[in-house]
Parts: sequence; structure tokens; C-alpha cells
Amino acid sequence: MYTDEIMDRYENPVKYGRMDKYDMKIDQASTTCGDKIILYVKLDGNRISDMTWEGEGCILSVVSTDMFCENSIGKEIGEVAGEDEGKYVEDFPISISAGRLSCVLLPLRALKRGIKEK
Amino acid sequence: MTWSRIREDFPILNKKVNGKRIVYLDSTATTQKPRQVIDAIVNYYENVNANVHRSVYRLGDEATEAYEGSRKKVADFIGARTEEIVFTRNTTESLNLLSYSLEGTLKQGDKILITSMEHHSNILPWMRLERKGIKLEYVGFDDEGLLDMEDFKRKLTKDVKIVSVTHESNVLGTINPVEEIGKMAKENSSIFIVDAAQSVPHMPFRVNEYYDFVAFSGHKMLGPMGIGVLYGKYDFLDRMEPFNRGGEMIKDVDFHSVVFEDPPLKFEAGTPNVEGAVGLAAAIDYLKSIGMENVRAHEKTLTSMAMKGIDSLKNVIYYGPRDPEKRGGVIAFNVNSGMKIKRSLERENVRVDSLYHSHDIATFLDGYNVYVRSGHHCAEPLARTLGITGTARASFYVYNDEEDVRAFLEALGGIDVHR
Repeated sequence: MYTDEIMDRYENPVKYGRMDKYDMKIDQASTTCGDKIILYVKLDGNRISDMTWEGEGCILSVVSTDMFCENSIGKEIGEVAGEDEGKYVEDFPISISAGRLSCVLLPLRALKRGIKEK
Repeated sequence: MTWSRIREDFPILNKKVNGKRIVYLDSTATTQKPRQVIDAIVNYYENVNANVHRSVYRLGDEATEAYEGSRKKVADFIGARTEEIVFTRNTTESLNLLSYSLEGTLKQGDKILITSMEHHSNILPWMRLERKGIKLEYVGFDDEGLLDMEDFKRKLTKDVKIVSVTHESNVLGTINPVEEIGKMAKENSSIFIVDAAQSVPHMPFRVNEYYDFVAFSGHKMLGPMGIGVLYGKYDFLDRMEPFNRGGEMIKDVDFHSVVFEDPPLKFEAGTPNVEGAVGLAAAIDYLKSIGMENVRAHEKTLTSMAMKGIDSLKNVIYYGPRDPEKRGGVIAFNVNSGMKIKRSLERENVRVDSLYHSHDIATFLDGYNVYVRSGHHCAEPLARTLGITGTARASFYVYNDEEDVRAFLEALGGIDVHR
């Protein structure tokens, strides 16, 4: 169902792990399926110098979160959080059915909410 | 009974996706509708529609007859009296009606006894009353998903005023001994409520002296969405407070006083869902033409076949009783991924292991046109008891056949491999 690229990242995420000295900790639980993912963000001014995650979830939410963390490093946090949801889904490596959109969008929505609540 | 012919009555099941037949295994969530039900609804709007109970012209009479005739059909189907059938939106609304209308009979310190395998719709209406100082208690179940009757007896104390139990679990498939439970509840002078959302559609069902109330939904038994049923013993309905207030449910209204209608209209404020009632009546006709014994036997055959098939798969686990006599046609399952993934968050009651997420299983099966549900199935306390976050779930009904079970098992075999 999923490509090797997806499965490899699911089994071997590169940004998994707790961060001790973070600037933001975003605790976003997906309400419909029991996924629970926490994002840790380290900032250098407005720029994300590191982002990691921990938790559990389905293949899509895990892979999306791990890629999100990796791809956000070095970027401005406002720019990362401001990304359009439609574009985010479009850029995801595999196509997603409507019922699974919230899995893929989990990290982006978490960051958007984290910024709002900060 | 030619089961494959029944499938032809369901237009949606003739739909092809990617050129192939669809295997609909989510009837526990909602059922598909036969042509006969669709036609009945169209006929209602083309030939009968008018507001009910208030128009004196011919069409109004016909609409009222259609609506009240549907009520009689529902009553006959479960062995009740017509005036004991209240039309609601669904099981959830039936149970909420009870929570509100029985609230006045409860006082601080009273207990409500339910089980750990309830759907949220038989938990949250009662949890609402905890703020009044009413205690909600749960009866547990064993490793096989059978209700712990010793626990039930222990918890059925004198202060238990309401016992509300699901007849068949929408996850485990467990068929609970509601008659036995009801008998004990009545001996304890408790009000006894049966959540029959998963039983009335799937097996012969008759009300009896122990059941004070029974709730079920039309859309889970081939009828349309938005029509549900609350059966209540007439004496109870007569004494109870109304739920919603407004049109239709009154005999007389003055500036500061009101005389309510008799049951069941007392509980049906506003213009009712007549098309829903008419569609439900057509669904009942359809089920009766098959025979509820046959429905139950058919589901047992398919469930046994599916359980046997799953047993031969290496990494698939399923929940609930092993004996098909003790369960309905619903199978909740998970697939072990065999991956050594350590990603544990400290979460109470949730064991993090190497199961595939149920959504991933459902998406995988979707690739084979096999439609199963995934998640916690609106029964989170149940999932927590099992120590999991969710399951995939396959369920069967009259339009499923052995070909569907084979397609399901074949697709499932594709995920049953350790990478």
C-alpha cells in the first residue's frame, strides 16, 4: 500500500526523540484515532534550529511528522506554520484519500495551534 | 435462501470501483439500502407527503396513516404494543431521551450500572448525571470479551436505580445475556434498558417483562438514516417527563399551562421524520421476507468462516468470543507488524506494541475494495480495557456472501507478512 520510502521512514524515523531544552513543546492528540504526537521545537530567533517528535501513530502521521521535522529545520517558524494545507498534502510523497487527510496534516496543524496558543 | 440474489436488491453494491466489485464490510456502522426501501421513500414523497396528525384533508390522512402504520410495523416486529413505540432520530437520541426524562427520578448517591463494552451513546448520557452526584459504575468482561456476571452481581446493589446494557457489542461482537441480566435488574427494582442497536437488526428479538426500554436505529437495519426507535413500557412512558417540547406533543396549551399528549406522541415534538418511518417499515418488510432466524444463521456462517480464515493467518489477532453462538457478525482485529519499534509515551492503559495502526490496515484493504472500519468505534473505554488504541473491524449482513469473506481474507493475507 505504501512505498518503500514511506515504510523505511516509518521504521527508521530520523527526527524521533525527546528534546530536553526546547523553546516550544506542542502536545497534539488526534481525537479520532488515538494518535498521540508531541512536537519539540528549538528556535534561533524566529528560525527553527531543530525540531523532533515523540509519540505513536499510524504510518501516515508518523512519516508526515518525521518529514515535517526534518524539512522545517533552518526555516522561519511563521513560514513553516503558515503553509497551506492543500499544498502540504500535495507535496506529501504519496496520494492520500480524504479520510486520511487528518493523519498527514497532524504535524502542520499541531504547529499552527502551538503558535496560536503561545 | 439464495444469498447472492439478495445482493442484487442493493443498487450501491452493484457499483464497481476500479472495475471491480466492492466488498462492504461495515454494516455495524451503517447498512446499505435495498431497492424496496429506496422505492418506499420515493413513493412517499411522490404520492403521500403532507404533515401528519394535524391536517384534515385526504392527503394529510394518508400521510398520518403511513406514519402510524410504520409504527405498528415496528411494534409487531419486536412484539410490542403500538403506543409503546417512540420514533427518535437514532439509538443515541433514544438513550439521551431516557437520560433527560428519567433524571427527575434520580437523587444524589443513586447508581447507574453499565458495562465496559458500551458504545459512547450508552455511556455519555449517563455520565452527564454524575454532576448531580449520581454514580456511574461499569461491569467488566473477561479475556474472551464475555461479560463478568459475578462482577455484575456484586455491583447490582440496592442503590442501583438504572441498569443499561448493550445486547451486542459493536466491537467484540459479544451477545450479552440480556434476559438474565434484566431478570436480576428487575428483582433489584432497577429500571432495565437494552441498547439493541446491534441486535434488533441481526437476530430475532422480542420485548419481554424485564425490558423497560429498548433503543435501536433504523439505518443499521436497512432503513434510512435519521429514524430511530425507543420502546418503553407504557406505564413508564406515561409517567415520564417529555424530552423535547413543541408542536405535536400537546393536547392543550394555555398561557402558563400545558396538557401533554399521551405516549408516544408526548415524546415526538415537532414534525417527525415520516419518510424515515416509512423507509424503516419497508426495511422491516424486507427483513421479515428473509426471516430473522435466517439472518442470524447467515451471519453465523460468514463469521465462522472469517474467524477460521483469520486463525490460519500468522499475525492477525481478533477480539471477542471464539464461539459463534456467543457473538454476532462483527469481528474486530489487529495485525502485528513484526517491527521492533520503540515509541512509547507514558500513557495509562495503552500498551504500545508493534501493531499496525487500524487506519493503515483499513487503507490497505481499501486498495482491494474491501471496506472495513477502523479506530475505536465510539467505544474508547472498551479499547482501553483491551489495552489498545483501536482496531480494524469487519462486519457482515444479509447482502454479504462467502465471496466477500474470501475477498476479505485474501486481502488481509497481503498484510499478514512480516517485512
